Amino acid sequence: MVDPAQKAGLAALVMVLCLVSDKPTVGLAAVFGMCGLATFWAAIPLRVFCGVLVAEAAFLLMTVGGVAVSIGASPSVGTWAFAVGPCWVGTSPSSLALAWRLATRALGSAAAMNFLALTTPLGDLLEVMRGLRLPVLLIDLMTVVYRFVFTLMDSLVRMHTAQESRLGYASFQRGMVSAGLLAGGLFVDACRRTRRLQTALESRGCSRDLRVLPITYRRDSGLYRVEAVLLCGLVMIWSLS
Amino acid sequence: MRTILELDNLHYRYPGQGFLALKGASLVVPEGRKLAVMGRNGCGKSTLFLHCNGILKPNPGTVRLDGRELRYDRGSLLELRRQVGIVFQSAEDQLFSASVAQDISFGPLNLGLSEQEARSRVQAAAETCEILDIMDRPVHALSAGQKTMVALAGVLAMDPRVLIVDEVLGNLDPWARSQVLTVLGRLVDRGKTVLMSTHDLAVAFNWADIVVVMKDGRVVAADSPENVSRDADMMNLVGPPDPWLSRASRENESRGMLGSRLSFGSAAKGG
Repeated sequence: MVDPAQKAGLAALVMVLCLVSDKPTVGLAAVFGMCGLATFWAAIPLRVFCGVLVAEAAFLLMTVGGVAVSIGASPSVGTWAFAVGPCWVGTSPSSLALAWRLATRALGSAAAMNFLALTTPLGDLLEVMRGLRLPVLLIDLMTVVYRFVFTLMDSLVRMHTAQESRLGYASFQRGMVSAGLLAGGLFVDACRRTRRLQTALESRGCSRDLRVLPITYRRDSGLYRVEAVLLCGLVMIWSLS
Repeated sequence: MRTILELDNLHYRYPGQGFLALKGASLVVPEGRKLAVMGRNGCGKSTLFLHCNGILKPNPGTVRLDGRELRYDRGSLLELRRQVGIVFQSAEDQLFSASVAQDISFGPLNLGLSEQEARSRVQAAAETCEILDIMDRPVHALSAGQKTMVALAGVLAMDPRVLIVDEVLGNLDPWARSQVLTVLGRLVDRGKTVLMSTHDLAVAFNWADIVVVMKDGRVVAADSPENVSRDADMMNLVGPPDPWLSRASRENESRGMLGSRLSFGSAAKGG
């Protein structure tokens, strides 16, 4: 397994470059660079990488829309303004440029994080966090929460199937009642599982924190080279633009 | 035969419950033997096991390890848990980490072993349980049988002298069951003591050296499978007579073949 710190380091540096340079070209280059690395090096399907990015872009569009467009009572809201009923909606080259800069900067950073998230399981990310000496309590909590995501999801699906097989969702009203019961049941189930986990941990001599062996990873020198090229490219684009 | 663990007149009431889960349960566990603990649901098997490991504290009652009475301070509890390990009924609930290897390493590290020592313990436990091929898989991607083996390895890595296995065969397919029983057999060959609760008559009576029968929070029998199988009252506590087995044993009896390992003749008469 490739050292997750190698990937996390790259993602962090690319993010910093996008944020500090504040150049749309750097942001766009980061998007293409990360996309290329994810698809060619990590073999993440292009559709998956782009799908996640498009979803993020949709949220981004809503926010930068507010930056690009201003609404006011007079035509002075922008260089170009249109009357919409009693209000004026307008925009100007400077606010459009600001929106474009914001959007590319955010998208570049998001692409870097997506690369990390799509190529690294959470367990490996926890190892990186341990390496960074983050608080043990935080890491232990994340470990158990991550595990519970799967066990509780399993419970949820099973309870839902059991309810549906007895027509729990036959009508809207019954559906609402069933969903309420399901939520309550899941809470009780989570409590019960927590108690059982506590017992099992105690019987294995748990004292305070969940100490485990670190995972050993290999450093991928090829990836280091690709990362260096990518980062140098971004810095060059920054200095040229 | 040396006694390793001794439970004497244990009483226990779960907080907030009106009835006693254990009403004077006593059991002497000889070292290096296989014990099958049987009895109906709710008869106190799991509660008894939790006392063996110091998770529950009897009131009144005493637990002795190697003849020494257990005191419930931190040091004695850690020592007891080093000697007595429990694999719980639901493997799903005792694995806390997404990584198989990390979950197994938890117990050894709690014993204060060095990383290097812990690593070799993890490796050895994984070899014993035949799970080397799934060490890199995330826990949520394992089957029920594999999860059980990982839970078992997590306890074995602590190298306990007594291993308690609480009804783990229930949800497993016959292959996974036989794998669990093979591993348990290996442990007994190495001198470990194994206690297993099960509802499976064939497993209990073929596998165990001693069959322990519980009823209403008490141990009512702890004897060789032959002796227990001759006691009609005991056989009624461990399960209704199996029509196939009782017919076979009746036929054996008429041919004068009493006393075979799996003799259910008395159960047939009693039922």
